[in-house]
Amino acid sequence: MISKSIALKVLNLATATGSDFAEIYLEETLSASLSLENGAVETSTSNITYGAGIRLLHKLQSVYGYTNDVSLKGLSVLADSLAKSFHEPRQVTVSAIKKIRVKNAHPIERPLHEVPTTEKIALLKDASHIIQNHDQRIVRVQTMMMDSLKKVYIYNSRGEMFIDQRVRGRMAFMALAAENGKIETAFEGPGAQAGFEFFTKTIDYKAKALEVAKSAIRMLHAAECPSGKMPVVIGNGFGGVIFHEACGHPLEATSVAKKLSVFADKVGQKIANPAVTAIDDGTIPNAWGSNNIDDEGHKTQKNVLIKDGILQQYLVDDFNGRRMGVAGNGATRRQSYKYEPTSRMSNTYIDNGTSTPEEIIAATKFGLYAKSMGGGSVNPTTGDFNFAVSEAYMIRDGKVAEPVKGATLIGNGADILMKIDMVGNDLLRAQGMCGSVSGSIPVDVGQPTIRVSEITVGGRGGSI
Amino acid sequence: MARYQQYFALAKEKGLEALELYLYKKYSLSFSLFHGEVDSYALEDARGLAARGIHNGKIGYATTEKVDKEATAFVIGKVIDNAKAVDKDDPAIIFPGSPKYRRANVYNPAIRSLAVEAKLANLYQIERKLKEADPRIAEVETVSYSETDDEVVLMNSYGLELKNKSNYFYYYASVMVRDGEQTRTAYKIHLSRDPDDFKIDEFVKKIVEEAIGKIGAASIPSKKYPTILTPKVAASLLSAYLDGASAEEVQKKSSLLAGKLHQLVASKKLTVLEAPLTRNCFFRYFDDEGVATSNKTIINKGMLETYFYNLLTAHKDNVTTTGNGYRNGGGKIGIDFVNVFVKPGRKSQEQLIAKLKEGLLITEVQGLHAGLNPQSGNFSLQASGFLIEAGKISRPVNLITVAGNLKDLFLEVKEVGNDSELQLSSFNVPSFLVKNLTISGQ
Repeated sequence: MISKSIALKVLNLATATGSDFAEIYLEETLSASLSLENGAVETSTSNITYGAGIRLLHKLQSVYGYTNDVSLKGLSVLADSLAKSFHEPRQVTVSAIKKIRVKNAHPIERPLHEVPTTEKIALLKDASHIIQNHDQRIVRVQTMMMDSLKKVYIYNSRGEMFIDQRVRGRMAFMALAAENGKIETAFEGPGAQAGFEFFTKTIDYKAKALEVAKSAIRMLHAAECPSGKMPVVIGNGFGGVIFHEACGHPLEATSVAKKLSVFADKVGQKIANPAVTAIDDGTIPNAWGSNNIDDEGHKTQKNVLIKDGILQQYLVDDFNGRRMGVAGNGATRRQSYKYEPTSRMSNTYIDNGTSTPEEIIAATKFGLYAKSMGGGSVNPTTGDFNFAVSEAYMIRDGKVAEPVKGATLIGNGADILMKIDMVGNDLLRAQGMCGSVSGSIPVDVGQPTIRVSEITVGGRGGSI
Repeated sequence: MARYQQYFALAKEKGLEALELYLYKKYSLSFSLFHGEVDSYALEDARGLAARGIHNGKIGYATTEKVDKEATAFVIGKVIDNAKAVDKDDPAIIFPGSPKYRRANVYNPAIRSLAVEAKLANLYQIERKLKEADPRIAEVETVSYSETDDEVVLMNSYGLELKNKSNYFYYYASVMVRDGEQTRTAYKIHLSRDPDDFKIDEFVKKIVEEAIGKIGAASIPSKKYPTILTPKVAASLLSAYLDGASAEEVQKKSSLLAGKLHQLVASKKLTVLEAPLTRNCFFRYFDDEGVATSNKTIINKGMLETYFYNLLTAHKDNVTTTGNGYRNGGGKIGIDFVNVFVKPGRKSQEQLIAKLKEGLLITEVQGLHAGLNPQSGNFSLQASGFLIEAGKISRPVNLITVAGNLKDLFLEVKEVGNDSELQLSSFNVPSFLVKNLTISGQ
């Protein structure tokens, strides 16, 4: 961290040429990763991320820079060169810096950086053996653990100072199955803003490891997915990536402020089927995508984005909020000091409906059951999206039938939101990394089992 | 580099058998316009250090962006701890040096010496020209400029010290077009190390053509189509295919090119080279293990000539490294390639199009990170482009998926064009005409 007097000097230097807001974001992160191949430790690394970013705002202009030199000299040089962008008289003077209390909502029992490496390795070896021993066709197993302790210090020209500490840990399992030249892979990556207890108590990592092994083997014998338009039932948990990509990103102020989003100017309007209520909640205790405060110092919030199909609000950061005439709602995030912060998702999910997953399948005569999803991407301006399905089955006569592989779902976010016609009651969240303008950040996606009445399915198994 | 001697001194004191430091420095300046005003301006000044060291025959890693006395103790201490954690039976290798290096200076001071005002003036001009080009251009989403200096220094306890400095700049613009209810976007990047070769009118024209061309895009019936891939699309698929030529993937049984050395893995029309010594902004004369790089043929008329090796994988296969050991973050040295190019053919893209009675020109594919399995080579990707009828482009196409297997696709390349284009990925390839690809649309 830097002293209040250094922060004061740098902020006043930054605001000397007329910017109306200045902010210093300083970060010190200690992270470590362990990577095992077929049960043997291949790589162990330790990393220090350290530096500061300075942001100046002047009406609708932003200026950002960063450096690893966080001495008074280093920060002054940076503040001075950024301030050269403006040529007006001083508008803001910072006279004192006051520390604002940040309440921790994410209790940690055993911080991962304090857990002996041998204990972590024992867990990873166990997971690896479970996967390898499941079937001899599993020829490659990777198990990994990543953890980080991030200390964040934010100082701004309102005279505020925030200190926050963010502790995260994640395991990752990858199984590769091969038979007669065919190769299939499966992946799971449970994570949390928690300590070692998350792996040993909260989740059943053995069950998750076994599921990865089973999924890779099941897909080995799956037929190629047929292509065409059909109803698609999307499984809970990581299935929520569809909402994240196709609807979450276009609801970020990053694209809404400049009216580059399909959902711009639509608050109060029906943008989804009445069955859909969607939420972004950065406050969930110990969740992977949560934070105590966002990267502007605002408390994170539970933001209802869509209620019964009606658009309620966007995810807003203060800077884009200027263009929109609204205040930030705790959604400002960045990967590190190397990125200018902007509006991003945290833990985003479609809320529970009333149907059971069994009822949804039974109500579908023919279609695709996308049990687990891979990743995807979206063009936020047009809303066009694509997703890969990692485990899928055909639905025939209301029953889950044969497994199929290689399916891709494509469509348009605005269109698909209207077509979500059944929402289950089995809400589950899953962890991922979301990449966008302010870098790669941890997020939860989530949903109960849902049905989309029609999506274009791409696959190599011929037309339906 | 005297300031780093303390690392080597402490390493020796703590009994490390060898130590390597990889130092990187990055400077970059970027700014963008929105509605005639600079809406963002960013300055980066970053440096860091990545260390690898051998302790009791095992290799450990540590990185830091904080460079002080404490950091030295942290780095050496962690290298030892992390080496102790390793139990995989791999030899630990830090490289004493190649007999000869083909150094060259590819840094162009002209990029930074050009006044910021001149670069900004270009952005204003691009924005104005884009707006004036066509009434259907509803918004110029972004116009931006960025310049970057990259410097890496590799030094180790055997006395090796290598340095490479390069720079580049790019202009980027994206527009939104609207026609009735339909919204489409298009963007372009111009990447170069020579400020003189940026032609604004040409840049603007290409974006406008692409954006306007997309208006009225619709799906097409699902079936197999002879397909032309533009250089951008061909480059991204070839890059994914070549990932399988990584010796590490082959040795770990994760590659569709395993066991395919000296066999046909692509059509005879395809000759693929890796030329890291090409004097552009991607130039590298040593890899991240300190091995001298060389230009080489990877696929010769369809035949796979070599895998890409680093020191460890070469040791396992009892061959010489190809100098393809590159870092991916602060850990283990992985395998990568730079400046891959495909020997161009004779025909232009128009001439390739003229050959097709009915076919598809694919100009964009999306979702490569999820819709393509690099191990099996199977892909199913969202795509857009144009329908070709009677040897001519007839209409824009979107919301289709193209599916297949990389190996089948490259074996079915019927012809390569003469329109090679350098991509941000450093790939420089022309258009490919593929016999048949499975398209699903309506």
